[in-house]
Amino acid sequence: MSNGVVNGETAPSGPTSTARGGRAIPGAAHEGRLWRLSDTPAAWLLILPVLVFFSISVVYPLAETIRLSFFDIRGLSAPRYVGLGNYIALFADPLFRNTIVTALIFTLGVTAISVSIGWGLAMLSAFAPAQTMPFRMMVFAAFGISETVSAYMWIMILRPDQAGLLNSIIGIFNPGFAHAWLGDQNTALWALIIAASWSAVGLPLLLCFAAVQAIPKSVLEAAYMDGARPTSIMRHIMMPLSLPGVRVAIFINLLNALRAFDIIFVLTGGGPVRSTETIGYFMYRESMTQFKLGYGAAATVVLLIAVLVVSIPAILQRTAGAK
Amino acid sequence: MIGRAPRWAIAIMGLIALVWIIPLFGIVVLSVRPVGETMLGWWRLDSFTLTLSAWQRVWDRYPLADAFWTTAFLAGVSTFLTMLLTPAAAYAFHFLKFRFRRLLLIVIINAFVLPQQVVIIPLFRLWRDMGLMDNFAAVVVPYVGLSFAWSIFLVKNFLEDFPKDLIEAARIDGCGPVATFRHVVLPNMLSPVYAVGILQFLWTWNALLLPMLYLRTHVPLPVVLARVAGTYDLNWDLRAVAALITTAVPLIVFIVFQRQFAAGSQATSGGKE
Repeated sequence: MSNGVVNGETAPSGPTSTARGGRAIPGAAHEGRLWRLSDTPAAWLLILPVLVFFSISVVYPLAETIRLSFFDIRGLSAPRYVGLGNYIALFADPLFRNTIVTALIFTLGVTAISVSIGWGLAMLSAFAPAQTMPFRMMVFAAFGISETVSAYMWIMILRPDQAGLLNSIIGIFNPGFAHAWLGDQNTALWALIIAASWSAVGLPLLLCFAAVQAIPKSVLEAAYMDGARPTSIMRHIMMPLSLPGVRVAIFINLLNALRAFDIIFVLTGGGPVRSTETIGYFMYRESMTQFKLGYGAAATVVLLIAVLVVSIPAILQRTAGAK
Repeated sequence: MIGRAPRWAIAIMGLIALVWIIPLFGIVVLSVRPVGETMLGWWRLDSFTLTLSAWQRVWDRYPLADAFWTTAFLAGVSTFLTMLLTPAAAYAFHFLKFRFRRLLLIVIINAFVLPQQVVIIPLFRLWRDMGLMDNFAAVVVPYVGLSFAWSIFLVKNFLEDFPKDLIEAARIDGCGPVATFRHVVLPNMLSPVYAVGILQFLWTWNALLLPMLYLRTHVPLPVVLARVAGTYDLNWDLRAVAALITTAVPLIVFIVFQRQFAAGSQATSGGKE
């Protein structure tokens, strides 16, 4: 559709002129019907392709996931309506209840660690933005690495033998130390949280640094004039004034941690004995490996509700701003 | 910053940054040393040889070349479609009047909170019934469809500062809405469109879940890598190379286009500021 709009009857070659200075607009000379459409049909024409893609990949899946959550579907057999049966079964399933606890620890853990480190680094580097630029890049780069690949790097650090970096550092003090960080139920979730936080620091760093940079120079100047020490400038000026950035960072990282999949899949596969499965991973496991589609859909709806609860302020803000 | 920067701040920042880069550094070292030397860790210096042999052998070992082109194709097509369709829709939502405009806009821009897990089951059934499993369209359609939730928001935000006079002048000169878009608005809104393209490219290049479920024959790099990660393969050098090849392109794009990324990411999931 809009192929025609973009590549269709374009103006004669050469830079497109704007409306300034009384020069004619190239498009105005066209006789084609497309150019003379009035507002409403033109609007529908322009958004139609978007609506088609959006309906197939957002509206339909959303409605269908909710519908399927009321059915018992196993593999290819015909769906059987079970009402709230899937939800009742979910909350009676000790595995799923454990999943909620895991998701809570994972989400809060990753957000707390990544945002506090990102915020701290943002303030440290705000003292000397130019000199710390390469350092910021290094932390930021971790964020640009594919999640699959960063999970992979952490496999090498957390290897159970003495060639794992973590084991070998501990081995300096405690020779012969070897712990299967990812294979032990007591440490696997925390290993996962550390690995996920490693890549998640980039965005809080970016957002908080932007917030600190936005503090008016005169405010900082006045503080220096009054002889404030760097630590107190940090404590009393930078920290409170960068809070808007922190708030956005907390929201994004909560949302991303709730929806996490890749890093869990590669690093632990939800194990050992399904102890590191979050809701987003549980739904994949039940629907795509056990083929309990209705059950998986019900778990997805629970995830959806969690995501919506976290997003209420952002949704209200966006809805109010949609003019 | 005014005044002198405290040395300790720079020192702490530098130290943390060095620690941060260790995982990446480790994998690079692993990829250029023979596996025999790194049995006890990539940092061991008992004997030290540099070799690119793993970089040569890896292509036979894992289907990386095919995966590379698959990834490039999927990311390229999805990025192109998103960059093509987003500006037109953002323009229509911002400057044109039509029924349900505000409702549609609210629905689209709030969809950014949805987890991709929501699409898995319905599209799995839909593609299976339509015979689209293992077809590239099975992943390109949701890649593009999901992107509008943030791309339209990002571009429309940019249009809020667009000079209205320009549009009125074009209208007076006889431009219809489509011509106004093509000749007046589009040429002046390219920077947010590029930001959208970069974000979409990074996201689609790194995607694991959807291609893993909907594709079989030709799969993108993250899927190959995830499969390799699940095996008990002791060729750590080859595995390191595979990981580096997977992330090389997005990492370079990310570092080169940092600024656009920064501008984009704030609109993607955050508030307006």
